[in-house]
Amino acid sequence: MRISYEWLGDFVDLDGVTPKDAADVLTRLGVEIESLTMVDLSQIVIGRIVEQTKHPKSRNDLWVHLVDLGGRLEQIIAGAPNAVPGSLVPVALPGTTVPNGKVVKDMNIAGFRASGMLCSAAELMLGDDHSGILILDRGTPGEPLTTVIPSQAIMEAEITSNRPDEMGHLGVARELAAGLGRPVKRDFMPSFTGTASPPGRELIKVTIEDPNLCSRYIGGVIKGVKVGPSPDWLQRRLRACGVRPLNNIVDITNYVLLEYAQPLHAFDLAKLNGAEIKVRRARENEKLLGLDGVTRDLTADMLVIADAQRAVALAGVIGGEESAVTSTTTDVLLESATFNGPNVRQTSRTIGLRTEASARFERALPPELALAGARRAASLIAELAGGAVHKDWADVYPRPQEPVRVNLRPALIDNVLGTHVPLEEAESILKRLNFHVKVMGDGEWDVLPPVFRLDVTIPEDLVEEVGRVYGYDRVPPTLPGRRHESWTPLAPSLDRRLDLTREVLAGAGYTETWNPALVSGRKLEDLRIAAHAMRVSNALSDDMDTLRTSLLPSLIDVAVLNRDRGRVDVRVYEIAEAYLARVGEKNTQPEEPLRLAAIATAGSTADDGRKAFYRLKAVLDECIAALSGPPCTYQRAAAQLFHPGRCAAVVMDGRQLGYIGEVHPSVSAAANLEGRIVAFEVDVEPMLAAARIPRSQPLPRFPGVERDLAVVVEDTVAAGAVLASIKELAGDLLEHVRAFDEYRGAQVSEAHKSIAFTLTFRSPERTLTDAEVDKVMSEIKLGLEKRHRARFRE
Amino acid sequence: MTDASSLTTEALAAIGRAPSEDDLARIDQEYLGRKNGQVSRLLSNIAQLLPAEKASLGKAANEAKRAIEAALAARRAELETARLADLAETEAIDITFPGPPPERGHIHVLTQVRRQIETVLESLGYQVELGPEVETEWYNFEALNIAEGHPARENWDSFYFSKELLLRAHTSPVQIRAMQRIKEPPIYIITPGRCYRRDPPEATRLPYFSQVEGLAVDKGLTVGDMKGTLLYMIQSLYGRDRKVRVRPSYFPFTEPSFEFDVSCGICGGIGCKSCRHKGWLEVGGCGMVHPQVLRSGGIDPTQWNGYAWGFGIERMAMLKHDVDDIRLFYESDLRFLEQF
Ligand SMILES: [Zn+2]
Repeated sequence: MRISYEWLGDFVDLDGVTPKDAADVLTRLGVEIESLTMVDLSQIVIGRIVEQTKHPKSRNDLWVHLVDLGGRLEQIIAGAPNAVPGSLVPVALPGTTVPNGKVVKDMNIAGFRASGMLCSAAELMLGDDHSGILILDRGTPGEPLTTVIPSQAIMEAEITSNRPDEMGHLGVARELAAGLGRPVKRDFMPSFTGTASPPGRELIKVTIEDPNLCSRYIGGVIKGVKVGPSPDWLQRRLRACGVRPLNNIVDITNYVLLEYAQPLHAFDLAKLNGAEIKVRRARENEKLLGLDGVTRDLTADMLVIADAQRAVALAGVIGGEESAVTSTTTDVLLESATFNGPNVRQTSRTIGLRTEASARFERALPPELALAGARRAASLIAELAGGAVHKDWADVYPRPQEPVRVNLRPALIDNVLGTHVPLEEAESILKRLNFHVKVMGDGEWDVLPPVFRLDVTIPEDLVEEVGRVYGYDRVPPTLPGRRHESWTPLAPSLDRRLDLTREVLAGAGYTETWNPALVSGRKLEDLRIAAHAMRVSNALSDDMDTLRTSLLPSLIDVAVLNRDRGRVDVRVYEIAEAYLARVGEKNTQPEEPLRLAAIATAGSTADDGRKAFYRLKAVLDECIAALSGPPCTYQRAAAQLFHPGRCAAVVMDGRQLGYIGEVHPSVSAAANLEGRIVAFEVDVEPMLAAARIPRSQPLPRFPGVERDLAVVVEDTVAAGAVLASIKELAGDLLEHVRAFDEYRGAQVSEAHKSIAFTLTFRSPERTLTDAEVDKVMSEIKLGLEKRHRARFRE
Repeated sequence: MTDASSLTTEALAAIGRAPSEDDLARIDQEYLGRKNGQVSRLLSNIAQLLPAEKASLGKAANEAKRAIEAALAARRAELETARLADLAETEAIDITFPGPPPERGHIHVLTQVRRQIETVLESLGYQVELGPEVETEWYNFEALNIAEGHPARENWDSFYFSKELLLRAHTSPVQIRAMQRIKEPPIYIITPGRCYRRDPPEATRLPYFSQVEGLAVDKGLTVGDMKGTLLYMIQSLYGRDRKVRVRPSYFPFTEPSFEFDVSCGICGGIGCKSCRHKGWLEVGGCGMVHPQVLRSGGIDPTQWNGYAWGFGIERMAMLKHDVDDIRLFYESDLRFLEQF
């Protein structure tokens, strides 16, 4: 919300308080001032237009003005035609800097000298209007502009949702006054009431059909007003707060909204059908043409203000065009009401229109504010637009605001804040904030918050009031500590345990990524991995409407992005949840398995892919080893996203963790990725659950014997099967066996391959002899011949 | 035939002149070689000699051998000393030439920052608690004192799957779940994790982000304790010259509520361009846990009280590493990720 420093000065003495000081005080009190814009008008002077002629040569519409600057005349050119002779205008002379930052220079435009600039409201930062020159309603030519408009300071304030009372200058000024320890110059409730007869309530009959949605409706009648432009100062304040002036009646309702935070509406009484107002739900098929020129279909969820026949306003959101105040209006019905916050918000959302009024009603305004706002507006109308304000307004108030009393044990203040606030100071702070404090016999305080503070309901709320005025800077920082008799010993977090895996992956050249969990549901469907996908019902866009069921598509996208940006080799991984809806159980939370997934790009030949697969497999083995998990086995498998001949299920302790393999060529082709990609995706939690603390083994005391063995088998025989046979056949003396090469080609016969193994033999008791090892080797060979029809290469 | 002493003289002269280790090896072989060495050859005819001559020749040969051995060793030592003395010239390399880089992958900067935060808070006795990202309306809102129709709900515009299920807007639901599970305070936990809000992506915010919230429930906790905890955390992460300020604010789940700011690391709090002349940088929200929230967690607010805070991991990383666009963290451009 925009707050004008000058306006605050109406309610609190700002002598010696700069705008910056005020902003700091407010921020510390909880009215966060996000920005402060200073508008220095001291360099601008007042001029009077003496002559205005159209520029004869310029192709653009330009006007040449002769301007009286108090005894001297200057020629100034402007693009807007509204500075007619006699107008008083703000003038920026050459050498000055206009508040919006523009530097004014002597210029020559198509043969005409221009010595200065006529300023618009926008250029002076007095509002958003840049359509024409700002016309002043008073002032002396040659005098500084500040003789009629003071320099401005506009604060952009963030008002918290519990404080609708601060959505007006008076509310903010009350905070500032409390913070400065100065009095508020304005009573909350104006004393003004109308005096004209007959009583207003006889001129308009108000009924509230749904008191849940409208807890109060005040209708005041003012007759014989003269509609016209508002005075300059009022227009200027509206503009400063971003509101466009319209006419004095409408401007006054907006002005009071910005002052009291109470939205008001003025109807042209003559345009209402029957002297009657009904606050009711909209009827089926009812329509309303709003002040913004849009006709809307209403629904029974919406509350309307209706006359005897039709809806004339959408309650709390926008007024109707047909009953609006215009230049011909003479009699006005002034509405000041309290509408249900959630209902106004819902209506405003449904029709997609948020107004200054709805923004306030949404936050639940106190009904007492309605009367204060109505009185203030009526007094301004009487003052600025004339007219007779009728006495005894219609005031239907089915649910009077209940005063909330809060009992406070004053010790709570010190206990919560952690510092000592003297009781007198705490009491004085509450009083400054308009709370009534009664000290009871037992020392408890009986506290009555002011009527405009519906947010204060529990003792902790009062502690906050005291604390924020006392100043949280004065609360010394401490660390909590007392003797505990019980505690939970520290267990390393899941993510920190996974750092071991991250180290392995970093060492292997893989970089960690964090990718969005919301992805395109359409894409998951195309990849046929959408069976368990959960789709968001109110997504921001198609490309993030579904929770991913796998991390792999994200990683493939990462490869694509980095390829597009010039990276050839991409090795990346991610540790994150996948989200799997539980089939058949609607409205239950999905499974969220934590996954580890990695991908690596490879060359484009089949052999490149094969090698990359083995490299990646070794990386996965290392990741698991780093977590001290048991080694996993790989079983030929088929899975979505993977190459049908190059995919394995990763199995640990009989439980499947996920898959590793080459990405299916059609998947990489769809992603426009050249070459092959290998990938794995595994569940992390079972790995962590299976992890054991590694136990140390005694170092070998005797030397080992290494032997290589090249086994030629048919292509279909798996290396894993041969490996298992070797282990089984070798007996106790075999310490370790590893496959290190696979060969196909001229050296072996068609449809065969050669697998090379290194075997390490060792005895814990003695140095092995060659003869012993030879014996075991021949047993192994014999066994392999039988089992796998193996031959051996030397 | 040469006698032993002239052989020795000759050998010693050759050794003295030998320019290199290789020459010495050759001389060694020539004179002391087992079969054909000069010294061995001295003894080739020994069988024909008289016993006295045998003894004298054997002695002379032994003396010659020892003398040559000693000379060889001395010359070797001499050459080695000279070689070491010349290393700076003979084996100098261009140390400015770069080595081939090892293939190091990088750990994501957000992981690094999350790790630092966890480590700092674990040092104060906080435990990491995790919870589901797809949450129920009750845990995400009701339990946190944000009933349906609450005006503050607009701050947590959420993604819904159904009326009851949504993507959590903060990690606060984990606080409720932890209180319900642990039951008996003291409770000191932190809840890192992903959250979601319906904000269109831009340089300062994303519809998905990561938070770390903290919760302490104990007897007699104060705003001062909360301030101290935040200060300890911030100084541990950013350096001990940093200051923390708490500003009154409003959240339905805390009372009193605050936003907490960290003094600008560039200007030290005086105000500069990077802190938009405020001297302070907004980090997160905090406050004393609302009694209603303790009740939601099954904790008796007349016996216990608590404080809580929350902030975005991305925000912390942006402040720490001068990252000006939050989208970089999730774009996965290796040129960015490899900077950390
Ligand atoms: Zn700064």
